[in-house]
Amino acid sequence: MSESRQITVSKNGVSKLAIVALALVFVAGLFVVGFDQGHIFSLVYGEQAFTDLYIHELTHDMRHAAGFPCH
Amino acid sequence: MKTAIFLFIVLVSGALAGFIHGTVNFTIVEPYLDQAIGIENQNLFESGEDQDTPQFWVEYEGYRVWQKSGQILAGVILGISIGSLFGIVFALSRNTLPGNNDLKKAITLSGIMWFTLYIIPFLKYPANPPTVGDGETVVLRAILYLSFIAISGLGAFSFYKLSTKLQNNKKIISLAGYTIFIGIVFLIMPENPDEITAPIELVTEFRIMSVLGVSSFWASIGIILGLFWNKLKPHQETNSSY
Repeated sequence: MSESRQITVSKNGVSKLAIVALALVFVAGLFVVGFDQGHIFSLVYGEQAFTDLYIHELTHDMRHAAGFPCH
Repeated sequence: MKTAIFLFIVLVSGALAGFIHGTVNFTIVEPYLDQAIGIENQNLFESGEDQDTPQFWVEYEGYRVWQKSGQILAGVILGISIGSLFGIVFALSRNTLPGNNDLKKAITLSGIMWFTLYIIPFLKYPANPPTVGDGETVVLRAILYLSFIAISGLGAFSFYKLSTKLQNNKKIISLAGYTIFIGIVFLIMPENPDEITAPIELVTEFRIMSVLGVSSFWASIGIILGLFWNKLKPHQETNSSY
């Protein structure tokens, strides 16, 4: 006859990889919403992206509402 | 720690809180943005920089629809971003946060982060609607704003670490330390270089709505992440042996 035991243990260790991944998400998201002035799209579209400002315009209203400097 | 559940909780909580933030903004901040952009357009016509023509309004409607439609999407992106920072800090500080369950702990942390990362910097560099702000100074203003947030956050973290080394009746010392520290930084940091040219009633009301919007995010992230954490308990691992 076998006995079944269930033990619940609380571990505080947080995966370093998870921390790094979340830190990258934090920085990338903050840059997209708060600071991009065409930089991201310029990787594909070149200088024209700094004129079109697609991401800047898309995040424009949230940028003002959340307190980021906009223009 | 169950990493996959931890990441799920953090990212979904951030996205939901960001969605709430975007929706609140869409409802209460947008009317002020429209009003401010209306003044901006009048200034363009009066200065001769642009002309009040049907062509102008067609182009205007085009990009305003794009800007407005981005409010909720940007809210979700920003929510995931700030939510990630919140998740990191919560996971690392959970054991020392006050409260007898994870919901109370998460709400406490969101209150602390709302105050140190948003309210304190807002008092120094409050949000401004369109028409306020010189494009030439945007980089300087961004550096000032981010620096103040970072200084306030790191200062709070340092004094919090200090408080964990103090006995209960001496913890007030670290709170007083942060207050003095941030007060000095507040006085030293340069002012926003831009002059406010828009009507002050519009600017004030916009700022109140902005605070309500951002506060809705911080309230939501604490409640949502706390509820998820209480339910899914990513810090616990169940070992079965037979």
